[in-house]
Amino acid sequence: MGAFKEENLIVIAPGSATTLAVAGLAESLAPAKLRVKSRMFPAENGEWEPFKVRRKTAENQQPEQEPAYEEDVMSEEGAVWPMVEGRIVNWPCFFALITHVYNTLNPPFHTPILLVAQPAWTNKETEKITQFFFEKFKIPAFALVDSATAACWAYGTNTATIVDIGWQKADVTVIYDYAVQSAGRSIAIANCGGEAFTERLLELLKPRGFTREMCEQLKRSPICEVLPPGTPLPGSSAPDQEQVTNPAAAASTGASASGPAAAAAIGTGPRGPGPDTEVGEEQKDEEDNEGVLDVASIVAGGKMNEYLAKKEKEKAERLAAKKKGGDAAATAAKPVRLPNAKRDRATFMYEDHALLDSLKNMNLSGKMMAEAQAALDEGPNKRQKTPEAVADGESLATNGEPTSAIEPNGVSSHSGSRAGPIRREIEVGVERFQAATGGVLDRIADAIHRTIAAEMVQQRSQLWDSLIVVGNGAKLRGFKEALMSTLQSKYLISPSSATIFTSELPSHMTTPTGTGANTPQPQLGLHGGGSSSVNPLLLAATTAQTQHLAPPHMPSSQMQHTQSSHQQTPHSIKFAKVPDYFPEWKDFGYDEAGFLGAQVAAKVLFVVDTNQNQKGYMTRSDYNEQGPSGIHDFSL
Amino acid sequence: MAQSAFTAPQQNEYAGDEVSAIVLDPGYSTVRAGLAGEDVPKSIVPTFYGSTDGKLLFGDNTIHNSYVPNMEIRNPMSETDGIVQDWDTAAKLWEYSITSRLTGEKQRSPATNGLNDMKDEDVEMGIDDVEEQEKPLADSPLLMSEPGWSTVKYREKCIEVAMEDWGTPAFYLARTGVLAAFASGRHSALVVDIGASATSVTPVSEGLVLKKGIQKSPLAGNFISNQIRLMLASTSPPAPLIPHYMVASKSPVDAGAPSNATYKKFDTPPTASFRRLEEERVLTEFKESVVQVWGGPGRLTSHDQNGISNEDKARQMPGRTFEMPDGWNQVYGVERFRCTEGLFDAKAALSDSEHPTPSLSQTLPALIQASLSALDVDIHPVMLSNIVLTGGSSLLVGLSERLTAELQAMYPGPRVRIYAPGQTVERKFASWIGGSILGSLGSFHQMWVSKKEYDEHGPNIVEKRCK
Repeated sequence: MGAFKEENLIVIAPGSATTLAVAGLAESLAPAKLRVKSRMFPAENGEWEPFKVRRKTAENQQPEQEPAYEEDVMSEEGAVWPMVEGRIVNWPCFFALITHVYNTLNPPFHTPILLVAQPAWTNKETEKITQFFFEKFKIPAFALVDSATAACWAYGTNTATIVDIGWQKADVTVIYDYAVQSAGRSIAIANCGGEAFTERLLELLKPRGFTREMCEQLKRSPICEVLPPGTPLPGSSAPDQEQVTNPAAAASTGASASGPAAAAAIGTGPRGPGPDTEVGEEQKDEEDNEGVLDVASIVAGGKMNEYLAKKEKEKAERLAAKKKGGDAAATAAKPVRLPNAKRDRATFMYEDHALLDSLKNMNLSGKMMAEAQAALDEGPNKRQKTPEAVADGESLATNGEPTSAIEPNGVSSHSGSRAGPIRREIEVGVERFQAATGGVLDRIADAIHRTIAAEMVQQRSQLWDSLIVVGNGAKLRGFKEALMSTLQSKYLISPSSATIFTSELPSHMTTPTGTGANTPQPQLGLHGGGSSSVNPLLLAATTAQTQHLAPPHMPSSQMQHTQSSHQQTPHSIKFAKVPDYFPEWKDFGYDEAGFLGAQVAAKVLFVVDTNQNQKGYMTRSDYNEQGPSGIHDFSL
Repeated sequence: MAQSAFTAPQQNEYAGDEVSAIVLDPGYSTVRAGLAGEDVPKSIVPTFYGSTDGKLLFGDNTIHNSYVPNMEIRNPMSETDGIVQDWDTAAKLWEYSITSRLTGEKQRSPATNGLNDMKDEDVEMGIDDVEEQEKPLADSPLLMSEPGWSTVKYREKCIEVAMEDWGTPAFYLARTGVLAAFASGRHSALVVDIGASATSVTPVSEGLVLKKGIQKSPLAGNFISNQIRLMLASTSPPAPLIPHYMVASKSPVDAGAPSNATYKKFDTPPTASFRRLEEERVLTEFKESVVQVWGGPGRLTSHDQNGISNEDKARQMPGRTFEMPDGWNQVYGVERFRCTEGLFDAKAALSDSEHPTPSLSQTLPALIQASLSALDVDIHPVMLSNIVLTGGSSLLVGLSERLTAELQAMYPGPRVRIYAPGQTVERKFASWIGGSILGSLGSFHQMWVSKKEYDEHGPNIVEKRCK
């Protein structure tokens, strides 16, 4: 057995958006127990606080009294995010965040820590981090695992192309035979993460009065999807102008939806009937205020009561309308049952933190506050109380609930209605399918192509066949499929008609084609000298021949290297097989597979591995001997 | 937790004197930087950079982005011999290659690093702050490589940038040829370096460059690219060299048939220089997967004793297909040998009005011959049995076999032995790897030129110390 026990390990994976951590590994390596947003709030005394601290001002407060403070677990106001695009930009804040995570985990003494390193961290920075961990937490051992390596461990493979779609950036890494290939590695490709999707939605929806936060929540809601490239948007009756004439080709290729067809669809989408299609008129039309999105500013501007009155009035009208024509309502409700991709409009539940903040800033008394919240909340809880909206609420529950479930915050559970956000229902059109249209797919696909192209020619086809997409940015529905379809339509080499029927075998060189996607793939055993997309028998035959033909003074292994599969790639592109032996991750999804891999790594390095000469972690005594720079000898 | 535990340990608590040096190996196509002692450079940055509205964009992620409007792609190096032309940009680019992956961004004034827009809050930073800020290399010695034919001025400029702009405490300048020989474990070798912009032959004896034997020619990677361009244009119908960024999707077509693809539409089409950069990527793929050097014996145009020409033999070999990013594909038979023949046989090079046939003395065998003839006959056998083949373009399939055949024909007496590692990394980054080895040697520490010495003697010290 190794030096440590499973129940006494800490794994921390800091990210620009979310930091994951777990103390003690469960038998089944469960998803992260602790999820905190990677942000801290500057406190008045120069320290950092995990939550917004507000000065509480009671109505009858005496001036000489100590000011009272309250923690506001939901607010984002004034938050400082220490990491940007994976790089650490604010060190004190970053260290405060790590300390907060560590204290929350509250481990016993002598708990080793495994930290998942961002690819963007430089050598000097990892040294700084190592120093911090040893000197602040006095840990007995510390290990650093690269985030791409971690993902590889989760998938149980030694060779893969890892595409990590984060919040603000994406990393594309080639791992060949367990080794990160740093030569062509694409690190921190800007504007390729979840935030890029939000930005794109904001760009499209800003004219409709959407705020950033609304777009963010829309992105996280299940109605936001990336349709396979070339799919016409619902509601656009015009045929896809980019459709290729050859139908078979169209099926296999399909344009990424950034062309004129998509642009046309933007125009056609809003034509559908809907109360808030014409945003421009809503100011004039007193009756119609469904489309008023920025309630926060209304409330802050002191017009809350008018707004509530208006809403009441409208609700009454709707009720009356429903009573008048039940059938009409039923037919109107029907399209809602269509799958999301077919509907041109859909609604999602918006948790209005800005509104809550502005309510809080108004210094309302507790009772008034609760009333105001209740009045503004449109969430399912409240809906249940009004019988006429139950049917509506049911369909919304499916939309509304996952929104909050996607980011379950281990520290702050928002169950209490007092602290809970105010939920409002917002309707969007086909824009929700266009989150990835800003060139993100192209950029990532190009980076994958570039990264693989930096590797040796004969390794490439194996790398194309083992794509691993991780990261919460890839959570966007349909994103992975769209990425695959973009890759295939742009980079896949089809078997050439010129040689497919004429390739008489074996010749003394591999024929570049005719070994298309249907060729049996040799398994991992062949790495090193072999090719991967070539039939093993053919390979054996050809290399035997080349050996024979090679000039006697040339080492034969070298001939193999330069000759065996000197061909254009890729002939096939595949995702790596998802690991299926982690039951808890099956339901959770493998977007955070990096964290799973980090736990596997922690277990292997600290517990299973008994080789004391070549440990994968740095002990306290190693640190005392070598200092922070010694970490490079130990990190993976 | 006690505050005292938070203070950094004393220098002697850990081996504080073991600061790993940074090795910088700038080339025409890429800049390689990394820490001495590592086996591959951590930071490989393209020397090509983007320039848009006076803003400089460095790194693969930004320069390949077709969504940046009006981005011109430039290269600070000279196209013919890989010597720096634009010092300001080159220094910034090199600095980027070091700071982006090795040391981390130091807070420098946005006005000086050229990477940022001037924002209002940046302007508030006074000049005094800039002075106080740490320089990017303040605590790491720097080992830099230089081509064998660099001038005194060039070398002085290197140390000036390293010492004054980057604040390095110690500096050394080594020739790429020496470093490549070290990477192969030899102190005497004839280093044949086929790079992007230049091919060079550098004789190294006992770790020192024999200056009179240095030969260089522009027949290198870029020359091959141009040969491929000429070849593609000369086929009928001409092959469409459409880079990936212009294609939205492609569909399979028969060999030689017009492509059936949907193209991207741009509001403002990317610049011509951007297109050229992206075309190079396609050509690189072409070089890797189609192009081959005729392996000998004899030249491609010559005949054997039975009167059968080598071209006919090459024709017998199965062709290789290449698919362009827009789906257009074709089989290349003897053409794929013709693209590289110019490296060995100047008369066989493809040419047009813009690209004249190279001169006979520029070919690889001629360079080696010229280099050897400048040397003492006594060391010819050592040189010929220790030929180190390096540089990214030396990876062309069949090149080392052909070179062996040519040299054996030219020098039938002594044993000709070419050392050409099969690992791409070792060939592409040989001079960096040599620098990494050199920089991590204990005995190397006395060779550094320290900041103090530089302050005393000025930049000319590099001439005295870095031989």
